Amino acid sequence: MSTVPSSAWKAGHLPGLRNEEVTWQTLRFDGVPGQPLEIAVPALMPEQAAALARRVRLRAREVLQTLPLSAVVERIDRAVARLLDANDPLRQQADELLPRVTGYDATMVRLGLTRHLQTFRAPQLHRFVSEDFSNPKVLDEFQPALKGGMVRAFGPGLLVHHWAGNVPGLPLWSLACGLLVKAGNIGKLPSAEPVFATVFARALAAVDPALDDCFAAVWWRGGEAEPAATLNAQADTVLAYGGQETVDQIRAQVPAATRFLAYGYKLGVALVGRVALDSQRGAAMARLAAQDVARFEQQGCYSPHVFYVERGGRMDPRDFAQHLASELAALGQRHPRPALALTDAVAVAKWRQSVEWSTSEQTLFGDEASPWAVAFSEHALPLSPTAGWRCVQVVAVDMLEAAADALAPHAPYLQTAGVAVEPERLYPLSLRLARAGITRMCALGAMTSPEAGWHHDGGFNLRDLVRIAEIEASAERAADKLAPYAQEDTP
Amino acid sequence: MTPWTMESLSAATRALVPELLAFLAQDGCDDVAFDAMALRLFTHQYAHNEPLRRFCQRRGLTPRRVSTWRDIPAVPINAFKETTLSCEPVQSCERVFMTSGTTRAEVKGRHHHPTIAVWDRSMQRNFAARFMRGGARMPMAILFPPETELGNSSLARYLALAVREFGTAESAWYLTSAGMNLPGLRARLREAESSGEPLAVLGASYGFVHLIDAMAQDGESVRLPAGSRLLDTGGYKRQSRELAPEDFYNEITLRLGVPRAQCINMYGMTELSSQFYDEGNTITPSIKRGPHWSRSRVVDPMTGREMPPGEEGVLTHCDLASFNSTTTILTEDVGVAVDGGFLLLGRAQGAQARGCSLAVAEFLGTA
Repeated sequence: MSTVPSSAWKAGHLPGLRNEEVTWQTLRFDGVPGQPLEIAVPALMPEQAAALARRVRLRAREVLQTLPLSAVVERIDRAVARLLDANDPLRQQADELLPRVTGYDATMVRLGLTRHLQTFRAPQLHRFVSEDFSNPKVLDEFQPALKGGMVRAFGPGLLVHHWAGNVPGLPLWSLACGLLVKAGNIGKLPSAEPVFATVFARALAAVDPALDDCFAAVWWRGGEAEPAATLNAQADTVLAYGGQETVDQIRAQVPAATRFLAYGYKLGVALVGRVALDSQRGAAMARLAAQDVARFEQQGCYSPHVFYVERGGRMDPRDFAQHLASELAALGQRHPRPALALTDAVAVAKWRQSVEWSTSEQTLFGDEASPWAVAFSEHALPLSPTAGWRCVQVVAVDMLEAAADALAPHAPYLQTAGVAVEPERLYPLSLRLARAGITRMCALGAMTSPEAGWHHDGGFNLRDLVRIAEIEASAERAADKLAPYAQEDTP
Repeated sequence: MTPWTMESLSAATRALVPELLAFLAQDGCDDVAFDAMALRLFTHQYAHNEPLRRFCQRRGLTPRRVSTWRDIPAVPINAFKETTLSCEPVQSCERVFMTSGTTRAEVKGRHHHPTIAVWDRSMQRNFAARFMRGGARMPMAILFPPETELGNSSLARYLALAVREFGTAESAWYLTSAGMNLPGLRARLREAESSGEPLAVLGASYGFVHLIDAMAQDGESVRLPAGSRLLDTGGYKRQSRELAPEDFYNEITLRLGVPRAQCINMYGMTELSSQFYDEGNTITPSIKRGPHWSRSRVVDPMTGREMPPGEEGVLTHCDLASFNSTTTILTEDVGVAVDGGFLLLGRAQGAQARGCSLAVAEFLGTA
């Protein structure tokens, strides 16, 4: 067990547990060369995790579940407002630590985080709920159902989240969902980025101390059996983010009767129509495309890996690839790519080599020293993710519609498509993309910023969490008959 | 198909082979002699191996601009999958070895050997020095399928040669594609223990894991006689549980009674024609070294530039026994250059997705 220097920043949110009761482990980060960072993460014993789960479940019932939805929204909103304030100490911690943890360019992280948090203000949260519930008051009380009778939606008493990844802010999606359905929440911090969820938990607890023990953020080394198994066994619902292997592993720990929702790894594509490829728009499109590529280094499920570029515009697909290359080169100056870990460097090198040795003639823009690479192919290629880290494939196509149809075999892995076409084509093209398995169509430049209330991977993020209880009309009628004021002969 | 003969090969190759065999037969070579042979081979490959020539041209490299083996561009091992790297037409080649390819989606890499004589000589000379250490023939127990079952496996060839050239008549195979003959093997180990005659056990690392797991289940262990030694290679390939090297050698020593100093790990690749050995695994990671006809470097995978000693990078090898494909390959194995060789730290697990973006490996089902 590594000893933890007292100065190390402590991740996690552990209501009811004192620091000295917990065993801490150290994670080391070298995101910024020359500024190594140590973060202490809590390694709970199974009994501690079990007690924490009981406490969170109980307090969520006593506090969170007695609040009306609008009060929950208001508290999340205030916590988000704190984190949007550049002078707030918690926001400053996030701004300081996240680049050192992830290696992402500091400005890019700051801007990305702000953009992300903005989609969690009160109006957006209300919209988020309305997306899934035509009458959001079903989360507060029994409401009349159209078919007759009354319905009410209940979130899980205990929702366990297995967060993944180092795209800062990802845990906010699922934690916000959990809070909106008034669940007690326990999230597992990703080893790759334990900071953001911790900071958000602290902001929320500071906004309303009564909420402090309605949620927790814990940690264990990914793949370890405990306390994962203990928490999964206590949960009403388990949410897992991660690759197939991770998801399968977690699924195996979840009791059969427990609801299990998994969000696997995905990839994004973009389709650029000829109408967007005149001399003025083409360059602008390439700039937006480069931003989608560079934001969070294509580590997001929404990030683009392949651009299908249509022939027949003023700017031909090869020129677009070249423009994209120059834009990536320029972005590389303003927002440098992080120094790559050896395994990532091998992956990037391997991807470059596969292009270089590919039997279909391809052009590779960007040499070994460039912190980006654009591979251009005149011929259709089977869809495949690149190595990320600003490696992108451009494929020239005659018709975007055909490119969209060809995605279908990869449906399980598809999520976002950036599209740049005229209105007449947007709907038919979107329909084809949707049929192929894409669940989100958006503008170029917006790929990494999903709207509030989006249906992540095509699901109802809130509705999937709740269970509906309904009082049928017959029960109402029967009750009426048993009322002290009931009249025997009333029909 | 007509039987293979040397006569079916080009004059250039036929001229090269005896020179190379003589070079392998030397007691060693200095850097000047190594460079001279490396350049001789590079010139040959540049002239006769078209994909290699195009690769060099993209890098602006011609034989004139290459003055030491370090200047020869390292071909990524993936190229053995993407293209045919061979100076001779493949139909004239005596043997082809293929990578094992753990999934259906994966294309196999192919390494064509116009004559297997050079590969064989390389294996024998190096094995004699590094595993046999000049000793007499030994009975061998082999934990890998025989060559008759896996004709395209370089490891099957390797073990067949080991038995043929260095084993006694009592040597036998205990793993076939049908499975592992654990009862037979365990009986053989007990027999060696009681007879007092040293035994060599050689094979796939996962074969050893199956063996020690089976023995552990029954609480069995043997003490193989002094002079016995083991050779494992190739890692676990998802065929068994995976152990850290420390645990692997501790458990082997516990079950078989062979000290860690007598447990040799061989590092070989289908894309090469020579192998690397350590001097036992008392300390892991052990220092690996190749024969005098090979040189290794540790480089930055992105730029190909050599890493300073002690810093991690990926291994590139220049193997002069690979006269028909390319002498120099870029691996995906992580290593560190140290005095007397390199440390092999395992395979660079190409990009675990760190966010929620799909990684190539998962997409291809090879994660």
